[in-house]
Amino acid sequence: MTRSLKSRVVTLGAVLAFGTLAAYACQSGNTSGVGAGDMVGAAEAVYVAPGEYDEFYAFMSGGFSGNLTVMGLPSGRLLRTVPVFSQFPENGWGYAEETKAMLETSHGFIPWDDAHHPELSMTNGVPDGRWIFINGNNTPRVARVDLNSFETTEILEIPNSAGNHGSPFITPNSDYLVASTRFSVPIPNRDMSIEEYKGNFKGTLSFVRANEPGNMGVAFQILMPGYNYDLAHAGKGPSDGWMFFTSYNSEEEHTLLEINASRRDKDFVAAVNYRRAEECIASGAGETTPARYAHNYMNEHHIAVSDMLEEVLVIEPATCSDMVYFLPTPKSPHGVDVDPTGQYIVAGGKLATVIPVHSFEKMIAAIQAEDFESVVDGIPVLTYESVIAGEVANAGLGPLHTEFDGRGYAYTTAFISSEIVKWELGTWQVVDRIPVYYSVGHLMIPGGDSQQPWGKYLVALNKITKDRYLPTGPELAHSAQLIDISGDQMRLLLDFPTQGEPHYAQGIAAELLMDDQVRFYSLEENEHPWVARSEGETRVVRDGNEVHVAMTSIRSHFTPDNIEGVRVGDEVYFHVTNLEQDWDVPHGLAMMGAENAELLIMPGQTRTLKWVPDAPGVYPFYCTDFCSALHQEMQGYVRVSSPNAGVPIRWGTGGDWNTN
Amino acid sequence: MAGGDRARASRMAKGSRILILVASIALGLTYILPIWTISLEAPQYPEGLGMVIRLNTIEGQKRHDLSNINNLNHYIGMQRIEPESIPELRIMPFVVAGLILTGVLVAWAGRKRLLYAWTAVFLAISLVGLADFWKWEYDYGHNLDEETAIIKIPGMSYQPPLIGSREILNFTAHSWPGTGGVIAILVALSVVGVSIREWRSRGVGGERADGGVGASAKTLVGAGSLGLAMMVGLAGCGDPGPRPLVAGVDACADCLMVLDANGHGGQIISSTGRVYTFDSVECMANHLRAGVEAEGVRSLWVVDFSEPGSLVPAEEAFYLVSPMLASPMGLGVTAFARSEDRDGAVHAFGGDAADWSGVKALVSSAWPQGRPSRSHGGHATEVPLPDETGA
Repeated sequence: MTRSLKSRVVTLGAVLAFGTLAAYACQSGNTSGVGAGDMVGAAEAVYVAPGEYDEFYAFMSGGFSGNLTVMGLPSGRLLRTVPVFSQFPENGWGYAEETKAMLETSHGFIPWDDAHHPELSMTNGVPDGRWIFINGNNTPRVARVDLNSFETTEILEIPNSAGNHGSPFITPNSDYLVASTRFSVPIPNRDMSIEEYKGNFKGTLSFVRANEPGNMGVAFQILMPGYNYDLAHAGKGPSDGWMFFTSYNSEEEHTLLEINASRRDKDFVAAVNYRRAEECIASGAGETTPARYAHNYMNEHHIAVSDMLEEVLVIEPATCSDMVYFLPTPKSPHGVDVDPTGQYIVAGGKLATVIPVHSFEKMIAAIQAEDFESVVDGIPVLTYESVIAGEVANAGLGPLHTEFDGRGYAYTTAFISSEIVKWELGTWQVVDRIPVYYSVGHLMIPGGDSQQPWGKYLVALNKITKDRYLPTGPELAHSAQLIDISGDQMRLLLDFPTQGEPHYAQGIAAELLMDDQVRFYSLEENEHPWVARSEGETRVVRDGNEVHVAMTSIRSHFTPDNIEGVRVGDEVYFHVTNLEQDWDVPHGLAMMGAENAELLIMPGQTRTLKWVPDAPGVYPFYCTDFCSALHQEMQGYVRVSSPNAGVPIRWGTGGDWNTN
Repeated sequence: MAGGDRARASRMAKGSRILILVASIALGLTYILPIWTISLEAPQYPEGLGMVIRLNTIEGQKRHDLSNINNLNHYIGMQRIEPESIPELRIMPFVVAGLILTGVLVAWAGRKRLLYAWTAVFLAISLVGLADFWKWEYDYGHNLDEETAIIKIPGMSYQPPLIGSREILNFTAHSWPGTGGVIAILVALSVVGVSIREWRSRGVGGERADGGVGASAKTLVGAGSLGLAMMVGLAGCGDPGPRPLVAGVDACADCLMVLDANGHGGQIISSTGRVYTFDSVECMANHLRAGVEAEGVRSLWVVDFSEPGSLVPAEEAFYLVSPMLASPMGLGVTAFARSEDRDGAVHAFGGDAADWSGVKALVSSAWPQGRPSRSHGGHATEVPLPDETGA
């Protein structure tokens, strides 16, 4: 009896346990993304043997790091971080006196920005490898990075803008890059109630001259209704001369946009005929209005100069017919991408269930037929049916951005369903899809937004990382994934972490850049006002409470490395010239107690560190970049005395003191 | 003596009484163990996301899951899931307490009539509870706030299944009983088993020499086995059945063409429960070969040509490879559930018989570089070009 009861209880327990087990046995899954059989092939495809080079340079925006990162494809190796809008202590960008002016704005020195979209300069609609531009989203700016030196050489602030998101998309011959304002604001900006948004807040689409280094400027701005202008791409081939901008919030809402700006079924792609704008301006349209914005550039001595500009040319669509048209586009469109033939304009409606593709040819026909459904602020709105070439159905949830492979296929990212969808231009049929990990934003095919894509690789720039790498606390590197698109079916090859938040990226064949790299600067051509081209030219000069040290560094010593006569409260400027004339021998300078970063001085270059000593004593300085076997010996001392101690200025290296 | 027999006939066997006592007390476990779980799967939630329904509350599977789910739901205008606002969760602990208490009383009293009444009440409460749960799911899934919904898809509802799995936008929702729910189901089955056993023995009268233990044990084993079988079926870890293919709606996951009702087609169920549909056996075989799906495969299904509404396991099906019976992707592969149907087809159309591994080998050799893009033989949804129709 007892035994039976026991056995019954045991049986009941066993049944319960088994049932429970059965209920929970479905909770497994593997999400590596590469099938086991594919791993060897994928590994071979991304392997770049030691000493070999990658096929492509990839330029990833650094997002909220404010930088641009350079990586190699297909390896996914980090090659370089180029500081643009953010101070960068690693090489003294924004800390060295020669670079500070690059970060000046009408709001003063701003040491950070949010860099979203790199854009390579183009010739005949193809990346030419001269420069890469990138936008600063927060304090509206665009920057030029020279691709011979991988150095930021020019930054232009954009007036009458707030949130320079739709930027810096470039025209096929780099005549213009554009800057569209994400936030509409009162123009000119003034104190008014936010509730009076509708009709009073405006957007601007700026066209910036891009072709002349050191001479970027706003050619003109188009004053637009108060929507949010999001992204842009230039026409090409038949559509050359046009620029297409997405807009959302055509509801003109100023609060809880998440809901309020998602009400309408369609917002707009703005099609801008910029050649027509030039004509109107040439015949007197547009108005030069007061503005205040900074233009910063590196002068011929590698010293940044900041000019404050005072006016800008603004043109309203109502004063220039045929300049701007609206193409209705579902629903809160984000990316707008033009295919390599220039015939199709693809818009990714964040909340749309299809990808609408507009036809340039149909758009022109609709304009000629005046097939307008309405007119907004002097801008004709074309009917959707008259401009649409096709809709891609079953294209994933949350379509955002599209690039092309040059073989008639388009690749669109779907953020919500976390996949990339490949579809065919013309038939609008989806032909392949591949999951990405996780939640992809932009994608990049080298040259994939140009007239001649290198349709071999695709990089998915994912917004969410979660479990893809070894965990590193709450903050994780954003993740990119390399996908082989050379075959019929996409193939995931590689995951690699990135810096900041890469929004967009650009890629270019390595051979277009690698042979033209600056290896060092010519010392003979160095015209810095405080250059010391030899150790004989080094000097220490007092000018009131400023002390200028014209200093040299060469393996493995500074000249001078002993300096006396500096007083507490002096502003000491160390102008260090790197005397090396060889590749990859930078020298650094770090000064104890300097409220500043280090300097990193390229061979042949002069860079300046400012230091204000705060107490008497002897302070060491040293070279930070491991330059030679005796790098650790590359050091010096500065003696700081109280102002009334009467210690004279003297300096030297090796025991001989110099005096003025 | 007859009166004594009658009295005994109306009394429960001792073993039954013990079982009812144990079952009632086991029901108490539902206070601490989860009744039901709803798990959500999406690529960007590799660690999972889900909620657990307990007797008196709803909580996240992980600490903040419920608020994360509510945050996601605001995109589609779903009302917030707030345990405080669901009155059933306040009532249920008392209802279950009542069941336990009365169950103990039934066991103590040992009267068959009380047992039948209690069983009926128990089952009624269970069914009402499930119906109520379904109604809540329906309300959450359908009553969306059109005003604040950001993502609006006409005709789309977001109701999770009562039991089983369903794809909802980018999520796959899995709804299964939790440990407490499993216990409740087993208790219900045991109670029903005991009632049936007592009902059957109503004319016999008198206690068996062994005190009814043998019969009760049998009942228990029977009920337990039934419960186990049901759990295995429900949990689907053997295999959840395939879902029917919908011609004109489902698209092929490999060639992306819309499915036709032409007696061809297939389905892969991934290890995570995701369903991939195919317009042909060859597309399915190719998709497996390409290995592009990350999740792993749980089961493979093919359409039975003789009975196009039904899907049979791919490994167990019988295949015909014949150019005379065109399949959507042109390799002429047709599947049958029964070997005699396939043999009849070989007779009628000519060609060769094959098994699943033969089909896979055929696809590998016919398409060495993968499925040729856009090569398809006579697909019904393909629109002929004007010049072709003109000819």
